[in-house]
Amino acid sequence: MAGMIQNRDKFLNQIASRLERPRISSSVERPTWKFQPQYEVLKDATQDELLEVLMEQCKKIHTNIYVTDKKDLATTLNKVVSGYGGGPIVTWKDERFSQWGLDPLLNKEWLAQKIEVYEWDHLKGKENIAKAEKANIGITISEVTLAESGTVVLYSDENKGRTVSFLPATYIALIPKSTLVPRITQAAQKMREIHKKTGHVASCINFITGPSNSADIELNLVVGVHGPVKASYIVINDL
Amino acid sequence: MKVTLFATCIVDMFQSNVGKATVELLERLGCEIDFPESQVCCGQPSYNSGYVKETKEAMKRMINTFIDAEYIVSPSGSCITMFHEYQHIFKGDPVWEPKAKRLAEKSFELTQFIVDVLKIEDVGARFEGSVTYHTSCHMTRLLGVKKAPMILLSNVKGLKFTELPGKEQCCGFGGTFAVKMAQISEQMVDEKVRHVEETGAEYLIGADVACLMNIGGRIDRVGKPIKVMHIAEVLNSR
Amino acid sequence: MSMKISTDQFKERVDKGIHDDFMRGAVAGAQDGMGVKRRVATEELGNWEEWRSHGEEIRQHVLENLDYYLEQLSENVAKRGGNVFFAQTKEEANEYIRGVVKKKEAKKIVKSKSMVTEEISLNAMLEQEGCEVIETDLGEYILQIDDNDPPSHIVVPALHKNKEQIREVFTEKLGYTKTSKPEELAWHARQMLRKEYLSADIGITGCNFAVAETGSFSLVTNEGNADLVTALPKTQITVMGMERLVPTFEEMEVLVSLLTRSAVGQKLTSYITVLTGPKEALDVDGPEEFHLVIVDNGRSKILGGEFQSVLQCIRCAACINVCPVYRHVGGHSYGSIYSGPIGAVLSPLLGGYDEFKELPYASTLCGACTEVCPVKIPLHNLLHKHREVIVEKEGKAPISEKLLMKAFGLGAASPLMYKLGSKMAPAAMNPFTVGEKITKGPGPLKAWTDIRDFPAPNKERFRDWFKNREKGGK
Repeated sequence: MAGMIQNRDKFLNQIASRLERPRISSSVERPTWKFQPQYEVLKDATQDELLEVLMEQCKKIHTNIYVTDKKDLATTLNKVVSGYGGGPIVTWKDERFSQWGLDPLLNKEWLAQKIEVYEWDHLKGKENIAKAEKANIGITISEVTLAESGTVVLYSDENKGRTVSFLPATYIALIPKSTLVPRITQAAQKMREIHKKTGHVASCINFITGPSNSADIELNLVVGVHGPVKASYIVINDL
Repeated sequence: MKVTLFATCIVDMFQSNVGKATVELLERLGCEIDFPESQVCCGQPSYNSGYVKETKEAMKRMINTFIDAEYIVSPSGSCITMFHEYQHIFKGDPVWEPKAKRLAEKSFELTQFIVDVLKIEDVGARFEGSVTYHTSCHMTRLLGVKKAPMILLSNVKGLKFTELPGKEQCCGFGGTFAVKMAQISEQMVDEKVRHVEETGAEYLIGADVACLMNIGGRIDRVGKPIKVMHIAEVLNSR
Repeated sequence: MSMKISTDQFKERVDKGIHDDFMRGAVAGAQDGMGVKRRVATEELGNWEEWRSHGEEIRQHVLENLDYYLEQLSENVAKRGGNVFFAQTKEEANEYIRGVVKKKEAKKIVKSKSMVTEEISLNAMLEQEGCEVIETDLGEYILQIDDNDPPSHIVVPALHKNKEQIREVFTEKLGYTKTSKPEELAWHARQMLRKEYLSADIGITGCNFAVAETGSFSLVTNEGNADLVTALPKTQITVMGMERLVPTFEEMEVLVSLLTRSAVGQKLTSYITVLTGPKEALDVDGPEEFHLVIVDNGRSKILGGEFQSVLQCIRCAACINVCPVYRHVGGHSYGSIYSGPIGAVLSPLLGGYDEFKELPYASTLCGACTEVCPVKIPLHNLLHKHREVIVEKEGKAPISEKLLMKAFGLGAASPLMYKLGSKMAPAAMNPFTVGEKITKGPGPLKAWTDIRDFPAPNKERFRDWFKNREKGGK
């Protein structure tokens, strides 16, 4: 259902009158920008070079990064999870976990290790939030990965709860190497393309760059404020 | 080369030694100096205080004074910056805007003139002593002259240079700011003096008489054994 | 809190600031530290000037077409089920939000950092309505529990407080029992705030940049508090200054990049969140209801005039972090939630010259602010413009100064007057001269000589020397 718009005309008329012209009634085209420096950053970098940039950047954002192949993904993930002290774990509901051969780990191995795993299920409503809030680890997948800043980009939907990456104490992002792009510029272009093609934008798009932090007390950096205290990225080389 | 000197009111009234050094230096570098008597002040004190109408008369006077000059050179980055500002202040004025533009085109700060126009990087000076250098805000940020004084100083024989910590920070002069906001200005100039002290230099050099008057005045007041000199005086030493 | 944060006179505020040793150390440390980080982050791009120019052209284009983009934004928000309210005044904004609060019977409200909600005194209204309002940005939270101490920096609001003071406040107000280590203090705040996010009825945010083409808006934080504020409560209200928008995601990303590098020297902050409408039907987290309140509150008066460029501001505080005046007086001296150079330009425009007439003079016009502004606002020129307006349009300059400047104008415009004046100077100054110095000057010179020596006028003016030299041949 469309929302309400109130008080608009008076407001916009005032703006137009201050600008000494009538209200704009036809569509405004963006000008041809004189400067476009954003496309120059890491312009001709290969995926391998982007990966190097990402790994270097991770040092600055308090984030561990692991590079693995699809066949070793389960082993690597298991190692990172035990490094964080195990469960409870909450994950998105996402077919890719299964496609990447993680079913045995998620459904059996961790069960055997007494690690509780919860998969987001929108039918269960608020229980999801309670699970995420109690979880030690949240696991999601990066749709676009920004080498320059060390950022993973997540699109929310009913199976991809927003809070999986915020409420748990630690956070793990799985990153197919093919999602690597130079910087936020390319992510923004993609978002725009998707919107143009489908007429839709995910209700929440998160750009996450390492764990939560604050320098609000005497400018001392404290890692882990409202969101995760620690973060790890696992890059999957052959995806 | 014919050079018309814009001495500035501070030099004229309070720092004639800087004017003398400028004349001698430029003559030594082969310039013929001319000093039009009708020059007064560039108008910054009243302009910066917001008195634009009052200042315009002074500006017109200065434009007329220098109208026939080939090159205008001044030992003050800030005052030359003000000359460059005239064209913006007279924007839209059919008579004075073009005149102000021409004034700006031929106006140079002393070190800028030596390096960029005369194309001289070594003036053959000798100066024994350890120095640090105050980069004035208007000269560096607004006029954009950063390298010229450094190039010239680096070629002065005997001179030992130490960079000033926090050199990009204003000294707290700011024209009428120094008296209008005296309390804040004091804190700023104090920090500047502390930084000068930290370098251990015997001399503080600058290319702007006003900043030097401010920092020097504070150095004298608190009794620090640091001597203050204008860059023209250093470049004129042999 | 409103825009005005103190009833003290400017001089008293400055005096307090100058004598607050901790604050001054903190500010100097912050300027030096953040200044270096900003410089590294901007210089490493290699073409920062092009970035600034691009930022400027985007902001200028938006301001020139502001009515169009706001209309587009509101259509697209509504299409996604969000409600949009255009508030010309702060009263209108508060009235609308009050209506939402009443309808929702809200008791508890969590907020993420927003300058515009401070500007419109939103918290005071909400508290009057009997709501518990909780600021969740760590710095804002500290200030709030300390009886609403005002912010002193637009990015690091509690910069003026040291960790011992924070520990004391936590102990007194929150029953805190641990040390003053920032980690422990922050952890305590985390635990306190977790409960609040989970039980709040409404989440209120500001807006870094709205995106007209999609009806989205972005929030930029390092703590992640804005994400919890927008993910957990059932109702979300976002308040934005009317100029804070861009055409598409492509411009949003440029401005976000300019913001994070200029503000904190980061390539991107930890969390940049782009939200569009309320949650979708099957989503579990995210608000069921979304309200966007677009605030004018004096901004449109700035449009179309000589101060328009100030609306390009993206609130990065780079100008604050280089300002040599802010460095010594701190944020509270400005008496406004907007401090530093941007505050000195903006506060008189939004809050009037009567309240903020001193601020434009609290600058040496050194241009450091203009040099770092990522969207090329000519801040020091705007400060100068204010002075011009105060003198010529508002007529608010003191009479003594007017007379002095008139005299100066006459002297500077007339070589004859100048010559007479400058010739008489040594004699006039004689009673005050000791050696080559004046240490106790008369009149306006007193303020100078209270602090520093003033040179005595030359016995022989430069022009006399030059003339004599010419006469005598070379």
